[in-house]
Amino acid sequence: MKNLIIHTPEGFRDLYGGEIIRKKDLMGAVRSVFKDFGYDDIETPAVEYFDVFGNEVGTTPSNELYKFFDRDGNTLVLRPDFTPSVARAVAMHFPPTALPLRLCYAGNTYVNSQEYQLHLKEQTQMGVELIGDGSAEADAEILSLTCNALKEAGLTDFQVSVGDNNYFRALAEDSGLAPDRLEEIRRLISNKNFFGVGELLESEHIPSSIRDAFIRLPKLFGGTDTLDEAEAYAINDGAAASVKRLREIGRCTDESGCSRYISYDFGLLSKFNYYTGMIFSAYTYGTGEPIAKGGRYDRLLAHFGTDAPAVGVGFTIDQLMNAISRQKPRERRS
Amino acid sequence: MRYITVALTKGRLARQTLDLFERIGIRAEGADDSRTRKLIFSNEELGIRFFMAKGPDVPTYVAYGAADLGIVGRDTILEEGRKIYEVLDLGYGRCRMCICGPESAREALNSGDQIRVATKYPNIAKDYFLNRRHQTVEIIKLNGSIELAPIVGLSEVICDIVETGSTLRENGLAVLEEVCPISARVVVNQVSMKMESERINDLITRLKEALNES
Repeated sequence: MKNLIIHTPEGFRDLYGGEIIRKKDLMGAVRSVFKDFGYDDIETPAVEYFDVFGNEVGTTPSNELYKFFDRDGNTLVLRPDFTPSVARAVAMHFPPTALPLRLCYAGNTYVNSQEYQLHLKEQTQMGVELIGDGSAEADAEILSLTCNALKEAGLTDFQVSVGDNNYFRALAEDSGLAPDRLEEIRRLISNKNFFGVGELLESEHIPSSIRDAFIRLPKLFGGTDTLDEAEAYAINDGAAASVKRLREIGRCTDESGCSRYISYDFGLLSKFNYYTGMIFSAYTYGTGEPIAKGGRYDRLLAHFGTDAPAVGVGFTIDQLMNAISRQKPRERRS
Repeated sequence: MRYITVALTKGRLARQTLDLFERIGIRAEGADDSRTRKLIFSNEELGIRFFMAKGPDVPTYVAYGAADLGIVGRDTILEEGRKIYEVLDLGYGRCRMCICGPESAREALNSGDQIRVATKYPNIAKDYFLNRRHQTVEIIKLNGSIELAPIVGLSEVICDIVETGSTLRENGLAVLEEVCPISARVVVNQVSMKMESERINDLITRLKEALNES
């Protein structure tokens, strides 16, 4: 029999001793970078109305949210990520004249996921949101903040992979495929399934230029030459505009000196529907998962009644801790 | 230089894969010795090491990043449903995932009655019946000798991989429906794909060339 008084529920844990010291130090280091970039703190509640994370916002699937009811019978959830909460808070408290806003947060998120045994169900996230600035400079600011925060955390060997959701979306619009087929293609591309896309499209009648681009997408990642190749596959204005935008962002990051950490990946497609432009993930050794994720979400605030472009990044502190502690003793051949 | 770690599915798949690696000039020291008790074989010169694992564990090693690459059947990838990149179809280990049973079970299968399905692959079976056939069924998880289930009356049909079909025939069973084709695949950890993209892409390209030659 489990002793239910002394154990924590599965997916939740205590932190004490050296581990909590290391975690607090790490969070301090990351926060100092947020502060250097001029971001102000914001704290939102752990509990929100279900609609903040509902289907239209497109974040975590409903069955992975911790849900309960208030006295009036409204459905409440424990936040699965911060961005919709911050967007809601901005719409609620700040007049449009206060934009642009630079906000940073730190706190725990909750995802009741069965399939990812990799994850604790409670994870600490830190991040920033830059709201009210739709420029490529704003995108680049978030990228260089990400690189600086990872360096400050003590990492030397990491990569930030940058893509653009609009590229796939532009191709998808002209493909004439049904939404469920497109969702299947999106899943195959984001899993870098090099042959699944071709297999699936065999039975579909779509323009061959779009077919070729879809089949190429899972392999469309690497250095700046990736942008040239993506340009060649850009069959409509939307896709071409998305490549142009990434070039602009690339130029801005060159100036901030973090371009050596940046690569491009047009197959990087988030399952979070709220991303509307640049999206990115940061990777390093020692953890099988991204340590930071972010992107542009220009339509999310409109969902809460304030129409403003926005871009942000979130760091998964637990994954970052794992990476840092595992990188040190990892065996290396000279 | 970091090691590139490759997880192999124990058995015939591992032997075929080691042969393939040898054809592109990557030999794992001592892996061909069938009596060895060693778990891990490395090629120090190229910084590549191999280890053998049970099939269903291969996607796990890769998802956590303990192995950068894995060689595993598509059946296992579908069943485990891990977030891993699937980058190359090796073409061998070919078979089919099928719904099988005695001919007499075909009627029950199509009647819409609640039927029992015995399988080693509960997730694949559930997905097939729920999302493709829109049928509710009772799934019974077994760990081997699945063909036994309809014979002794544990289930009406089974969901299992079929290579030649001779085991089925010998036991009076037949393929009733095909779920999907299966073959060995190369899977890659999502972080390794980015951090070691040059070495991993080079490996995949050479494996692919070697496959095309044969």
